[in-house]
Amino acid sequence: MQMTNDRVAPVSAGSRRLKKVGKYLLLIILMFIVVSPFLLGFWTSFLPTAAISKGALWGKLSFDNYVAAVTTTPILRYLFNSLVISLFTMIAQLLFCSMSAYAFVFLRFKYRKFLFYVFLATMMLPFEAEVIPNFMTVRDMGLLDHFAVMIVPFMTTAFGTFMLRQSFMQMPKELKEASDIEGLNHWQFYYKVTLPYAKISMVTLGAYSFLSSWNQYLWPMLTTFSDNFRPVQDGLRQLQSQETFNNWGMIQASAAIVVLPTLIVLFIGQHYFKA
Amino acid sequence: MKRRKIIGILSCLLLLILVVSGCAKSQAASKQKIVFWHEMTGPAGQQLDTFAKEFNQSQGKYEIVPEFEGGYNEAVQKILQTHGTSTSPALFQSMDVSTSEIYHAKIATPVQYFINKEHYNLNQIQPVATSFYSQNGQQISMPFNTSQPVLYYNATLLKKLGIKAPSINPSYSEITNVANQITQKSNGKVKGLTVEEYGWLFEQFMANSNEHMANNQNGRAGIPTKVDFTTPGAQKAMSWIQANVKKNDIINFGSGTTAEANEIASFLSGKLGMFLQSSADLGQLLAGTKDKLGICYYPHADGQKANGVSIGGASLWISNDKPKSVQNGAFEFIKFLMTAKNQAAWQKATGYLALNKNSQQEPILKKLYAADPEAMVPSEQLSRTKANTANSGIFMEGIVQERNLTQTAMQQIYTGANIKKSLTTAEDSMNTYIANNNKANHYN
Amino acid sequence: MQQSLQNKAANESSNLKLKANSTTASKSKDGWYVALFLGPSLLLLGIFVFYPMLKTFYLSMFLTNNVGKATTFVGFSNYLSLLKNPAYLSSLGATLIYVLAVSALTVIIGLLLAVAANQQLKGIKIFRTLFSSTMGVSVSVAAIFWLFVFNPSVGVLSQLSTALHLPVINWLTDPTFAMIAIIISTVWMNLGFTFLILFGALQAVPTSLYEAADIAGVSKTTQLFKITIPMISPTMFFVLIVTLIEAFKSFGLIDMMTAGGPNNATNLLVYRIYQDAFLNGNFAQASTESIILTVIIAIFTLIQFKLLGKRVNY
Repeated sequence: MQMTNDRVAPVSAGSRRLKKVGKYLLLIILMFIVVSPFLLGFWTSFLPTAAISKGALWGKLSFDNYVAAVTTTPILRYLFNSLVISLFTMIAQLLFCSMSAYAFVFLRFKYRKFLFYVFLATMMLPFEAEVIPNFMTVRDMGLLDHFAVMIVPFMTTAFGTFMLRQSFMQMPKELKEASDIEGLNHWQFYYKVTLPYAKISMVTLGAYSFLSSWNQYLWPMLTTFSDNFRPVQDGLRQLQSQETFNNWGMIQASAAIVVLPTLIVLFIGQHYFKA
Repeated sequence: MKRRKIIGILSCLLLLILVVSGCAKSQAASKQKIVFWHEMTGPAGQQLDTFAKEFNQSQGKYEIVPEFEGGYNEAVQKILQTHGTSTSPALFQSMDVSTSEIYHAKIATPVQYFINKEHYNLNQIQPVATSFYSQNGQQISMPFNTSQPVLYYNATLLKKLGIKAPSINPSYSEITNVANQITQKSNGKVKGLTVEEYGWLFEQFMANSNEHMANNQNGRAGIPTKVDFTTPGAQKAMSWIQANVKKNDIINFGSGTTAEANEIASFLSGKLGMFLQSSADLGQLLAGTKDKLGICYYPHADGQKANGVSIGGASLWISNDKPKSVQNGAFEFIKFLMTAKNQAAWQKATGYLALNKNSQQEPILKKLYAADPEAMVPSEQLSRTKANTANSGIFMEGIVQERNLTQTAMQQIYTGANIKKSLTTAEDSMNTYIANNNKANHYN
Repeated sequence: MQQSLQNKAANESSNLKLKANSTTASKSKDGWYVALFLGPSLLLLGIFVFYPMLKTFYLSMFLTNNVGKATTFVGFSNYLSLLKNPAYLSSLGATLIYVLAVSALTVIIGLLLAVAANQQLKGIKIFRTLFSSTMGVSVSVAAIFWLFVFNPSVGVLSQLSTALHLPVINWLTDPTFAMIAIIISTVWMNLGFTFLILFGALQAVPTSLYEAADIAGVSKTTQLFKITIPMISPTMFFVLIVTLIEAFKSFGLIDMMTAGGPNNATNLLVYRIYQDAFLNGNFAQASTESIILTVIIAIFTLIQFKLLGKRVNY
């Protein structure tokens, strides 16, 4: 390995400070790149639309756009819908993924290896390429335009199964042996020992499944037709296309209403995990 | 015991889903619910909501539930694909060009059935519009939002710049001359003209040149088997645009819904002098600016008579998968929408043309014309047009495809591609599509 | 690729045999438990993953009518006509450019953020939190933010160029710039997640390595290329593949920002499937496109498996 040979010269306090300023400058520039779309969005959400459409980025600041978004659009209903859908998807995924993961780790049966490959294979098949038959299936099941249509197809995933299986496999063998001696059956072992043991993986999978359900865009767009069930991603799409006149202030306010809860959760979560 | 607890929790959750969704579905169960799917945005969407509210308050039997379903293309597929399920609409708005497709899919009760049953006087509705949506002498759907493409210009701006306004029935070169002057005299601050890359406008260039796009007389004499995008009129229009895009007299705003929104925004803020768009934008334009608005007919090729352009917009259909009582309610709402008064209010709010002949006598329109005589131009263009197969729309399936293809060709042409080649490529794709579609649906 | 998967599975199954021996007591009852534990997931995957895949393949061999029913068997001719269709081929090319640009830029900028945040400075935590913030942004919100940035009449970029007397770029109406705009927006959305993963990997690099390098007098830049990047390269490659696969499936930003235009410049594979099926009603062609997409994604997923396998084994 070729290393450069420039010796670290003894640096003066002044140049060290200069270096520090440089570091902060770089951080601030990078931060600006990352957050400027947010800042712009939030800022304009407080401006009157008339000012925005004239191209002004300055004007009387007010909460008018937020009031308009909440009172004249179903944005809160969209948020509620998304919450319901994501919550139930998360619960279902935690349950079914952990159950199938348990089967692959602790149960013995014919074709287990084959079935595991079958599960793995589903990770290669993008849902986006299957929307046509899936649409027909949920239509024939009578699930269209209902919460269920956005939950049922996503109640289990190969990814979740795989992830929990990894975590279950790390369980000490003694645990299973001890519970066999105690006479615990599989179901008891599953919820008394396995689930608590894999708590961290469960939380991670829960967060992951909640977020991916929350971010669903294409599928709800195809299967919901009324504001009663439309989740927030498609609600925003709806608002944006409905407001052809570009009521920018209100649209930005709606976007802010949607993004603020997730940002707050993200910030708190990070603080919590790092502490 | 714990197992029971888990099962208990799960069933509670299931119950919650049902309750929550049940709540959402069972509001105002006392009235017969009529779900109405539409694709109206902006002021038109608001006006439609107002109509629904007024109708719901005016009687105690039916409740119209309007649902916005996105763009026209999106909605057609939603309608076709949900037909026969509990979520399908009882009443739906579907665009002009989907007429043939929806008719052949046999998912609607022809409104003729209700017209006969209730002895509704169809003669009060503009015949140019009703004939567009009829087949074999039967009214299959009720024309609703109807528009014509027109040329808008900012009259105040032209005056300020000292430019003579274009005549009411302008030729291609006339308006590009005006566009050129606008750019020159404003030192490039104001753009002259824009023509959206939009298949609908492409069709109108052909219609105005008295040319058929599809064979079998645009499908009026039988199911089309071929299209022709390279007619002299189409090529003339495209080379006119291409040459003037090159000279910067025509500015390219792109395509899609954003293009139209951007055109309007620019026009309203005085950065754009003229543009070709649907008369349906009139309401928005009148409300959005203090400048005086000018309107002329769709431009025609130099030295050629204008054949007139076809109508655009959409009609109202009654699904045949709902009980008779619901269908009757849907027709009640159609009648409500088509009254002289409501049609007048509709034109005032949206710029779509009032289709009830008596609407022109309504005070609301008289006031509108008094305040802004230009608002009469689109209606005049409609009434002066002698309907023939070239300007009555194309009765063909897959027009969505055709518009995508011609739009792509326009995009290529605007950015300097060979006109004949771009159009031929689009034409070949469309002919393949038609052949496959006819085969798949066993039309031949 | 296959081989490593099989090796891994072989390792695992021998592990499990050990475990299984200890559970012989309950072996006889396992049949019921298998049905209970595995049944629901198998059923769901069967209905919503395997059946639709077969059905999509089936549809791709037919012509479909107005309501999406397969009516005329045509064999592989849908594939042939698609692969001869210049519009589809340009879509494929555009997708490749998009995917490569997005994944490369995401990893490079993500790494830059992670390295910058991996310093001991006052208030660095605030920067770390902000760098990860785009993870909390969903696709429709991102689309709205960026639509405003790129808007030709009220957008910030066009106003900035006007103020600086630069030519105004028609971001969303010029084919090349629309693609750039979509790439920028996608990269921005990806940054938060990529930053978190790469930052985590950076923190796992033993500090002793850097200390030794400092003593040897190795410059920081050299340290970056000789220590940091080699140490975290498995993670970087993993992130690259994940981003790549996700980029192939991009839909929301395109739907809201360009709708596939202008001139089909941003009509990427998934958007085209949506357009052909749910706007044009051509289900057969959309199914054919779906199968092609699946093949592409399957290849990259196999690569990902290989990586995962490595990570799991070591």
